[in-house]
Amino acid sequence: MLAYEENPEKVERADLVVGLPSHNDAEIITGPTAEAARGLLDHFGDKNSVIINCDNHSEDGTKEAFLQTSTEIPKIYLSTPAEKAGRGYSLRNLIAKAVELKAEAVIVVNADLKNITSLWIKNLGEPIFAGFGFVAPLYVRHKYDGAVANGIVYPLTRALYGRRVRQPIGGDFAFASDLAETYLNHPSWNDRVGQSGVDIWLPTLAIYQGVPICQSFVGRPKANQQHSTHIVPASPSFLQIMGTLLDLMILFQDFWGRVKWSKPTAIYGFGMGEVETPEPVEISQTELLRGFVEGFAQYQHIWESGLQNNIYNKLGEIRELPLAHFSFPSEIWARILYSYSVAYKNAVVDREQLLRSLVPLFLGKNLSFVKKTERMSIQQAEEYIENECMIFEEAKPYLLNKWGGG
Amino acid sequence: MAKILVVDDEEHIRLLYSEELKEEGYDVITAEGGHELLERIQRDEPDLVVLDIKMVDYNGLDLLQDIRNKFYDLPVILSTAYDTFKEDMKSIAADFYVVKSFDLTELKKKIKMALEASGAH
Repeated sequence: MLAYEENPEKVERADLVVGLPSHNDAEIITGPTAEAARGLLDHFGDKNSVIINCDNHSEDGTKEAFLQTSTEIPKIYLSTPAEKAGRGYSLRNLIAKAVELKAEAVIVVNADLKNITSLWIKNLGEPIFAGFGFVAPLYVRHKYDGAVANGIVYPLTRALYGRRVRQPIGGDFAFASDLAETYLNHPSWNDRVGQSGVDIWLPTLAIYQGVPICQSFVGRPKANQQHSTHIVPASPSFLQIMGTLLDLMILFQDFWGRVKWSKPTAIYGFGMGEVETPEPVEISQTELLRGFVEGFAQYQHIWESGLQNNIYNKLGEIRELPLAHFSFPSEIWARILYSYSVAYKNAVVDREQLLRSLVPLFLGKNLSFVKKTERMSIQQAEEYIENECMIFEEAKPYLLNKWGGG
Repeated sequence: MAKILVVDDEEHIRLLYSEELKEEGYDVITAEGGHELLERIQRDEPDLVVLDIKMVDYNGLDLLQDIRNKFYDLPVILSTAYDTFKEDMKSIAADFYVVKSFDLTELKKKIKMALEASGAH
């Protein structure tokens, strides 16, 4: 899958790799490259390091912008072939190269970050050398940012696998060499993972492997507007992430079936100095409501066949609520996601169609979240999400019962 | 029988927690502060720690960080008189938190859940 490599300084070994996945990021990649180099020099001066741009066949001069950035750390450029579009394929090239270089640690930071500092490299890298196997990011985000993570991926993975990783699809993370080998050889790799599914695939495999995981504070992710990190429902990224999550659920059913409740994850790194308050994320409540209500026309037949009668009937009641009093109970939402998991496993309808039919329901659930938290601070909204996660954990017997029953 | 370490600088809280948790069938040991807490955990091997956040000489959240770095999966329940600590992100490394009360129903429930999650019940 590697189509092109440029290794001007002929690097053959490295202790530490910083990977910058990119796609048409020529305008911005210089900043993250320079900060990565600074972070490696300031905090890992005793290590042999290399910065790798794992590109997804950019055609805007990303390669030149990266290689021409002046750094004291050597650089390698890798690219996928044109026909392998996807962040996952770029990361796979990175992992393969890191294994070839016999790297002890791999740090991944997005190439389009506007506010990355050298401390990101420190906070993501140091835990690996302290014995952790996987480091997930801990961002400061606006309460409406990361809606898919907040409303689906975090509560579901936490309830399934019993580990509280707050940003399970964060784009900036680190892992140790043992895990790199696992990633490279794991049979669950597929085309969805090769695209955006990789972001849930990496931490889920880390949890499944039982490696020590920590979360590292990296402040506020501020991506170039051109490539927002915000996953939009109904986008290919949403479907790839959800499909991967459910594929892994089938694969790892023996593991999560034994998990009861959840355990916290160690926290690392609080030395970021002043972190900007996140910019507000504007949400149109009427658009969310319209998306939910229109879903009935398109997907009613799927909901009716995939959900229990009482849950389906409840959806009908929710639909009748005016915007001012709209509420989508978390207990219902948890059971819907669990029912979808079972329907996906049993392939009762076409799986792509099933995933698409989840989108209007998520819009309804997100509207409910927005309404309930509109007067809350970020911290209060976080507590609200934590309470929702408990509801998922408490409802897990419902999943176990339905899953086993087919 | 699960062993619980109660860390609190208030003697009446240590006594209350000890008596009530022993009645629940737990083996309870206590510490009045964070002094050599990691060594104590290493030596006594508790299955769970109930940790006061605000002690005169110790910050429970810093102790939580130390515990989490050395004893990765050891369940820790934060016990506090106020909930302002939640503004500090370090608190999310705890399994649960409870507000101090003479009614220990919530604490007992959270202990049971944390022990079940760790497989030590």
